[in-house]
Amino acid sequence: MSDILTINQLSVSLQKNTILADINLSLTSGEILGLVGPSGCGKTTLLNTIAGFNQLNSGSIIIDKLCINNTNPVPAEKRNVGVIFQDYALFPHLTVWQNIAFGLSKETKEEQKLRIEKLLILLGLMPQAQKFPHQLSGGQQQRVAIARSLAVRPKILLLDEPFSNIDARLRNGLMIELRHLLKSLNISAIFVTHNKDEVFSFADKIALMHHGKIIQAGTPREVFDHPNCWQVADFLQIGSWLPVNVREKQVSTVLGDFTVEDLILNNGEHFVLLVKPQYISLIPGNANSVVKHISFTEHGYHYLLSSIDSSDPLAFEDLSFYSQSLLSLEQEVRLQLIPHSYQLFAHQTHSFST
Amino acid sequence: MFKTLLTKFTLLTCAIIPLSFAYAADEVNVYSYRQANLVKPLFDVFTKQTGIKVNVVFAKNGMAERLAREGEHSPADILLTTDISRLVELQDKQLLQPVKSIVLETHVPAHLQSSDDTWFALTTRVRNIYSAKRLGNISINYEDLSDPKWQGRVCTRSGKHPYTVALVSSMIAEHGEVKTLEWLKGFKANLARKPQGNDRGQVQAIHQNLCDLSLGNSYYFGKILTNPEQKVWADEVNINFPNQGNRGAHINISGVAMAKYAPNRAHALALMEFLISEKAQQLYAETNMEYPVREGVPLSQLVASWGAFKADNLSLVTIAKHHKNAIKLIDQAKFDL
Amino acid sequence: MISRVNYPIWSITSWLIALALMAPVAVMVFSGLTANSDTLTHLWQTVLPHYVVNTLLLALYVVVLVILFGVPTAAIVSLTNLKTRNVLRWALLLPLAMPAYVIAYLYTDLFDYAGPIQRQLRALFSWQSPNDYWFFDLRTLTGAAVMIALVLFPYVYMLVRTAFEHQDPQLIKAGKSLGLSDKQCFLRISLPLARPAIAVSASLVLMETLADFATVQYFAVNTLTTAVYDTWLEYGELSTANAIASLLMIMVLLSVAAEYRARAHQRHQLSASKEPLTMIILTPIQQIIGNIYCWLLVLAGFIFPFVLLLDMTIQYLDSTEFEQLIQAGMNSLKVSIYAATIASILALFLVLYRRLSGVKRSEVPLLLSGYGYAIPGTVLAMALLATFGPLDHWINDLAVWLNLSKPGLVLSGSLFAVIFALITRFSAIANGTITSGITKIPQSLDIAPESLGVGKLHTVLKVHLPLLKSSFIVAWLLVFVEAMKELPAVLVLRPFNFDTLSTQVYQMISDERLEQGAIGALFIVLFGLLPIIVLNKKEKIH
Repeated sequence: MSDILTINQLSVSLQKNTILADINLSLTSGEILGLVGPSGCGKTTLLNTIAGFNQLNSGSIIIDKLCINNTNPVPAEKRNVGVIFQDYALFPHLTVWQNIAFGLSKETKEEQKLRIEKLLILLGLMPQAQKFPHQLSGGQQQRVAIARSLAVRPKILLLDEPFSNIDARLRNGLMIELRHLLKSLNISAIFVTHNKDEVFSFADKIALMHHGKIIQAGTPREVFDHPNCWQVADFLQIGSWLPVNVREKQVSTVLGDFTVEDLILNNGEHFVLLVKPQYISLIPGNANSVVKHISFTEHGYHYLLSSIDSSDPLAFEDLSFYSQSLLSLEQEVRLQLIPHSYQLFAHQTHSFST
Repeated sequence: MFKTLLTKFTLLTCAIIPLSFAYAADEVNVYSYRQANLVKPLFDVFTKQTGIKVNVVFAKNGMAERLAREGEHSPADILLTTDISRLVELQDKQLLQPVKSIVLETHVPAHLQSSDDTWFALTTRVRNIYSAKRLGNISINYEDLSDPKWQGRVCTRSGKHPYTVALVSSMIAEHGEVKTLEWLKGFKANLARKPQGNDRGQVQAIHQNLCDLSLGNSYYFGKILTNPEQKVWADEVNINFPNQGNRGAHINISGVAMAKYAPNRAHALALMEFLISEKAQQLYAETNMEYPVREGVPLSQLVASWGAFKADNLSLVTIAKHHKNAIKLIDQAKFDL
Repeated sequence: MISRVNYPIWSITSWLIALALMAPVAVMVFSGLTANSDTLTHLWQTVLPHYVVNTLLLALYVVVLVILFGVPTAAIVSLTNLKTRNVLRWALLLPLAMPAYVIAYLYTDLFDYAGPIQRQLRALFSWQSPNDYWFFDLRTLTGAAVMIALVLFPYVYMLVRTAFEHQDPQLIKAGKSLGLSDKQCFLRISLPLARPAIAVSASLVLMETLADFATVQYFAVNTLTTAVYDTWLEYGELSTANAIASLLMIMVLLSVAAEYRARAHQRHQLSASKEPLTMIILTPIQQIIGNIYCWLLVLAGFIFPFVLLLDMTIQYLDSTEFEQLIQAGMNSLKVSIYAATIASILALFLVLYRRLSGVKRSEVPLLLSGYGYAIPGTVLAMALLATFGPLDHWINDLAVWLNLSKPGLVLSGSLFAVIFALITRFSAIANGTITSGITKIPQSLDIAPESLGVGKLHTVLKVHLPLLKSSFIVAWLLVFVEAMKELPAVLVLRPFNFDTLSTQVYQMISDERLEQGAIGALFIVLFGLLPIIVLNKKEKIH
């Protein structure tokens, strides 16, 4: 399958601040990429740069053979990239029909009508065709925005936090609906989100950004199973962090010790162990942890625990753990690591909040 | 913050003025259609002589309505106007009171005061025709303004101006409405430009060769000649007294009247009598280049130099009577359009 | 449903204010109903159709011109990277300070047949008479429209610029992502979105134009305003004049209402723009053209006439009667400060009432109080006399009955009438400014303080008034300047010995000697600069 989008060594600076540095990314036709990362990591700038709202400083963007670089800064309107904005940016002075027809000026009236009707039917907007944006619900507005973008047959669709304004109850349904739609039309899409759950249910591929760089990209499964650095694991909330002490291949923690084979140690580096909830078990014996928070979820009780001895240099906090058995607050229990393929990450600071 | 701002505003505004004025006793109040700079010097002399302060409102429009609305509470004592129809309008609306004064009776010629003693002329002015010097000395009638030989060579101010309206009224009195309308249409057809500006502007236009003839008041011409900058225009222009071979030149008046409910009658009378005094009449003649009505008061040297002339002795009341019809004819002729 | 303010006193007071400001308008319309149909028929058969056509043309020309002047400049300043845009931002407001009748006089003087330009041309080419060459005649309908538009376009510029600046930048991005160029985005998104601002500002200009008398009279352009004056002064029929004035006002209101209806279904949410607009980058040629266009307007609407005034002032400085000038200046300040203060406070009151009461009819007082703007000053003055005259009579009768000394004409014969006229005339400006200020306050702030246990009245004092401070100041200044410039109403209503700068200047102009009044005009202009300075400062803070 050929790439519809290739980004090579892209850098962008705005007002002399480097926002994006050395971005490499590719997308095949029909593929959906979820772009995640903390606020200010450059996700929106990357979208804007692909769409053509920002100038790039170096590197190139190739959209279906159209090469955009410093010497050939193709303006936004010539890129054939659709954008769905966070608040949809529907034209308030135009009806749903006129909004969808907005980008269609090259086509004949007849063609326009056919295409708009098809989109209206596809997106279930037919009854709303003559309404104005302010008369629509959030979900309907989003569908109009999508229809408007699709009407001009974009090569790629960029979506900036498309679900953030949607009622949580409807969100899942809409995501599935939109995914089906994009897949059926074979349109590639990049969408930006804060929410890892959205990525896992919507994207084929995930790219995680941090400080203007893509630090990991791959399928959601790959990234979830093998985060390549602590920021990825931390942002995706894959598990909790357990401080460790490493001597040679011997790793000790409050919850037990183990050995690792393939660890390369650099001087002065601190390590933390990523502990997914399923790798912790409750065992009888001397208590080492205390229950700090209890919540009920569909997976059973969810507990956050801390070490009893907070003065221990390896003391941990807010360790996440699911169990079907009911514990009480401040109850002291003994936890143990279940042996698995341990994931240790280098980390510069000691405090990390999730 | 906002409250203090508001307070500041309020304090500031309250501090500046009390809203209404209180008037002391030794005063006389004038509603004037005449411009401030024309009558102010006269009032100054009056105040110096008598110690009576003169309060004035100048406005070209709306004074009669104001007076009528104010009714018996009006503070106005004296009305000064520039046109006969204005005076008659005030008289018709019964806003004036008769004034019995030997001084006024004696010094204002009988045909220049109303029969019921409500108004008195102070000065007369002639509706002249200005002509370009390059035409040489001409003898001309108002009727000639519609002669096609002046096609595109005539200028004038708005047909609705009281001076023009009064002239049209006199034409109606002389020729009847039908002929006057024809005359207006011919006059209109001769205009070099749409009626505009004031009489000074017409002199300027003749000077600039935009036209050859124009209607214009005598005192305006005098004022132009005494203005060093405008004198150059007037040097190109002759002033003519029309219709010398027949009924004579049309004249209009500026006049004075006492308001019906004048609160300061004695002072008002004093002011009226002052305005007909030799001193005041002389000031009118000298500074305003008008023809004083009081006999024996010399004309200004300049006005005198234009020579004696024959005035149309049509009664002013007749002119005022035709006022409304004149307006209608002017509209019918679409004179100003 | 949100709980709303329900202070009967507030509501009653609002209606009373509106009725008071409406009263002269109502008196005018009622008087118009008793008009003499003969005169109307005569006028209709002779000049009235021509006047109507002239009025419509003048209105049309002025509206088209102010849009042509105001919208592109607003777009250039707010949407492009024009080099001098930071200066132009405020420089384009300067013409607002110039009264139309002054600029009309100055330019006529300059371009007239007898004016220096044509004189020079004739001397240069040895032309003898007007038949030898063609030169545009300023004293025409078009000329009058240009003059009026030159000083009124900043209204359009100001409102439309704000509209552009508050547009959601994402809409433009959306347009581009749909394949539209900068130009197409402007024409199909920015411009239609600015339509309410264009409509509102154009209707302000329309009303100002139709109320103008001095300029059209000076230009010998006969409009319906001329008809109003003619019927009243020459035919002596005030009621017929009122009928025509009422028609004029109804025409204005209908056109404004029609426009309002046409866009009633469009709701334009203003987004507090999170990011700056992306500027349209101009090519060097576009830079030059843009600069020339904007600066020509500033030059023609302000700098040039200002320099002429300054020159005249210096030339005639020796003959200036400073005492008179200072007196007139003080008088101008007095009435303008009063009018501005009262009009702004009333507007604040009415706007808050409408916002906080939430009932539909609360809009009515606000609307009613703005009608005076569409009435020519002298007609308004007549209506005021007709309104206050009887009141004064009652007051005096009452005083006599109570064995007190007669107070005289306390209402119609004092500055009260002048100030009342100015308030009636310019309330619309204050209302509009403060309304636009209050729409920027989120609705949630109306009730948020209540959740904190703070009462309504306290909320208004602590939340709304501080937030409306800057709108209040702008409203105050705009009314102040308009009041400084206002002429006809002051001319008729003023008490004895009361001259303002504008009446002085007007008297000089009607005597064709502006030279000697130039310094007065200069002062009007200088005072007119105040709001521009404040508006500019206010923007810098934001």
